[in-house]
Amino acid sequence: MTAARAIAWEFHRRHRVASVALGAYLGVFALMKWLILGPGAMIRLDPPNGLAGFIIAPVSITYFYLVAVFSYGLSGDLAARESIFPRRILALPVSTRALAGLPMLYGVLACATLWLLTAALVRMMGVDVYVPWVWPACLAAAYLAWTQALMWMPYGFPGVRVAVAALWLAVVDALVLVSLNYRASEWTMVAICAPQIPIAYLVARYGVARARRGETPDWERGTRRSADGPKAAAGRRSPRVFASASRAQTWFEWKRHGRILPAMVALVVPVELVLLFVPGNDTAPVVFLTLGVVLITPPFLALFAAAGVSTSTTYLMTRPMTSASLVAAKIRASLASTLVAWVVLLALVPAALAVSGTLPVFVERVIAFDGAVGHARTIAVAAFGFAVLFAATWKRLVQSLCIGLTGRDWVVKSAVLLALVFLVAIGPLLDWLRADIRIQSVIWHALPLVIAAVVLMKAIAGAWVAARLARSGVIADRALMTGAAGWLATVLALYGALVWFADAPSIPRYFLASIAIVSVPLARVSAAPLALAWSRHR
Amino acid sequence: MNDPVIEIAQLSRRFGAKDALAQVTLTFRRGGVYGLVGANGAGKTTLIRHILGLLKAESGSVRVFGLDPVADPVGVLSRIGYLSEENDLPGWMRVDELMRYSRAFYPQWDDVYAEKLRGRFGLDAAARVRTLSKGQRARAGLLVALAYRPELLVLDEPSSGLDAIVRKDILGAVIRTIADEGRTVLFSSHLLDEVEQVADHVILISDGRILISAPLEEIKRHHRVGGRTPSLEEIFVSLAGPAEEGGEPGAKAG
Repeated sequence: MTAARAIAWEFHRRHRVASVALGAYLGVFALMKWLILGPGAMIRLDPPNGLAGFIIAPVSITYFYLVAVFSYGLSGDLAARESIFPRRILALPVSTRALAGLPMLYGVLACATLWLLTAALVRMMGVDVYVPWVWPACLAAAYLAWTQALMWMPYGFPGVRVAVAALWLAVVDALVLVSLNYRASEWTMVAICAPQIPIAYLVARYGVARARRGETPDWERGTRRSADGPKAAAGRRSPRVFASASRAQTWFEWKRHGRILPAMVALVVPVELVLLFVPGNDTAPVVFLTLGVVLITPPFLALFAAAGVSTSTTYLMTRPMTSASLVAAKIRASLASTLVAWVVLLALVPAALAVSGTLPVFVERVIAFDGAVGHARTIAVAAFGFAVLFAATWKRLVQSLCIGLTGRDWVVKSAVLLALVFLVAIGPLLDWLRADIRIQSVIWHALPLVIAAVVLMKAIAGAWVAARLARSGVIADRALMTGAAGWLATVLALYGALVWFADAPSIPRYFLASIAIVSVPLARVSAAPLALAWSRHR
Repeated sequence: MNDPVIEIAQLSRRFGAKDALAQVTLTFRRGGVYGLVGANGAGKTTLIRHILGLLKAESGSVRVFGLDPVADPVGVLSRIGYLSEENDLPGWMRVDELMRYSRAFYPQWDDVYAEKLRGRFGLDAAARVRTLSKGQRARAGLLVALAYRPELLVLDEPSSGLDAIVRKDILGAVIRTIADEGRTVLFSSHLLDEVEQVADHVILISDGRILISAPLEEIKRHHRVGGRTPSLEEIFVSLAGPAEEGGEPGAKAG
C-alpha cells in the first residue's frame, strides 16, 4: 500500500459510517418525497420551504463534518498554540508536500462530490431556482482548504487559531456575497473560488512544515520579562506569597487564559480603527458604524477565547479544591480578562478618534443626543450600553464552561456542530419569516406565549441545575441561596433600568421583565461546577 | 501506627467490555511502603485514579483517611502528594512560581524543605517548566509533591522513561518519606528491581485482579524453590506472564 492510499484508507476507515448514513438518509428522503408528495412537489429554495430544510440541514451537517475530519479538527486541540496536525502523521516518512497535499486533495474531492451529489439530487427532485454545478463545489473546496491551512498553522497565542480562521473565512464569504450581489456569472465565481485552493495549499504546506520542525511561535514572550536568563533571575524580586488557595487558582487561570482576550482585542481593534484614517471616512455614519463594529469586537472575540477558558487537565483536577472553587477561579479570571480587554479598547478608541481627526464628528453627535434627551439619560445610556457590552463579553467567556469542563469530546463536538447547524439554519429561517406575512402575524399574536415558553424553559433549566447542585453537594446550600439571591437582584436591577429607558405604552412590562430574565445568565453558568465534577470524578 | 490509610472494598470498574478492576479489596496501613506492580494495562493507574477520586467507584467503595475521595476531594487531596507518569505540570510556570502556587494549597508546606529539595535536584528557580528536560520535570513534580510532607505519597510510574540518576532521586525521596514516621507511600511501577529495593509490601495486579497482596519477604518465602529465593521479577513472570499450555496466568497465586 502506498502512503497516499494509506492516508486515504485511514480517512475512509474512520468515517465511512457517516458517509453511508448520509447516502442512506438522502436516498430514503428522495423515495419518501416521491411516494408521499409525488414527483410534482418541488423543493423551494427562494425562500426555502420545509422540504428544503430536510436537504439543507443534513447536507450542511455533513459538510461541517467533512471539514472537521479533513482538517483533523476532531482529534486536535483547537485552543492550543501548536499545530493540530497529528504528530503521529508528521513522523511518517512522507514529504511535507504530500502530508499537506493529500488530506487537502481528499477533502477537496469529498466536499466537491458532496455538492455535486446534492445538486444532482435537488435537480432530480425538482427545484424552483437554478442550482449551479461548479462554483459552489469550488467554494466548498476553497472553504475546506482554508480551514485546513489555518488549523494546521502553529500560532503564538492559545485560542487565536479559531479567531483567525473565523475572520478569514468571513472575508472569503464576504467576497462571494459581494460577487453574487453584482450578479457575477458562474465562471466568474469559479475564477474567484478555484484559485484560492492552491494558495491555501501553500499556506497549509508552510504550516505543516513548521509543525514538523516543532516551530511554534511564542508571542506571549514579548509581553513578559525574559525570565530564563541568569541576569533576569538576579534582577527579579522574590515572588510574593498567595493569601489563599483561591487567589492562587485565580492567578493560575489569569496567567493561563486571562490574557488571551485582551491580546486579541489589542490585535484586532487597531485594524478596525484604521477605517477612521481612510480619506473620506470622516462622516458621522462611517464613524459610528466603525465604532459599532469596534464595540461588538470584545463580545465576538470572547466566543473564541472561551475555548481556552473551558479546558481542564488532570493537574487542575488534582488541586485540593472543590469543583465549585475551581470554577469560581475561572469566573474571576474571566472577569479580570473582560475588564482588561475593555480598558485596552477604551484606551485605543479615543486615541484613534483624536489622531484621525474624527473626534469632532463624534462629539458633535453626542452633544446633539445630549440636547435631545438630557444629561442624565445620556450618561445613563452610555453606562447602560457599556454595562451590556461588558456583561455580554464576560457571559460569552463563561457560558460555555458547562460544555468544555465536561471533558467529554462528544459533548464539545456536538455543541459545536449544533451551533454550526443553528448558524446555517438561522439565515433561511429568518428569510422565510420575513417573506411570509401570515407567519409573522401568527408569531406576533403568539408572542406572549413564546416569551412565556422561553422564560419557563430557563426557569426549569435553572431549577434542575439547582436541584442537582444541592443533591450532589458540589455547592454548599448557603452559597446556592446567595447565588440565587444575587441572580434575582441582578434581574430586578436590569428590569428597573429597562423600565426607566423604555417606558412606552407600546412596550408591555412583561416583555421587559422577560428580557431581564433571559439576559442574566443562570443555568449554564451554574451548571459549570456540575460539569467539572462530572469530568473530575468519572 | 497501623490504622488504615486507604481502604478499598470490592471495587470494580469496567471500560467498555474490559474489566479494568474486578472485585479489588485492599487495605493500606499507615507507615507502609506499597509497591503496586503489574504489566501495562493491568489496572495500576485505574486503581490510583480511584484513590485520588478521579474515578468514581462503579461498585464497591474507596476510603482514603476514612473519607470518600469523590465526595470530599479537598479533604483527601490536601493530604496526598501525587506524581503522575504524565507529569502534566503547567509548562508556562517558572519553577519558583510553581512552588509559590503549590504552597497556597497546603498549609503544612515547608519552605526550608522545598528550597532544600530544589537545591538538591539542581532546579533553576527562574527556569520555565516547559524548558526543563524530562528528568528535571519529574524532579520538579517530585518537589511539589514532597514539600508539604504529605501523609500519603502516591507515585504513578514515576520512573517511566527516566534515566538512572533521576530514578535514584525518586527512590531517595521514597526512602526519605519512609524515614518520616507515620507516612505512607504507594508507588506503581513495572521496574521490579526498584520495587524490590524499597517496598515492604507488594501488590501484584493483572487484568484488573489482585493476584498477590502481601509483605515482600512473605512473597519471596512463599515462592522459594529448592532453597533459592527468586527475584520479584521471576515471581511476577511466573504469576502474570503468558499462560503456558494447559495453564492460566496467576495459577500459582496463593
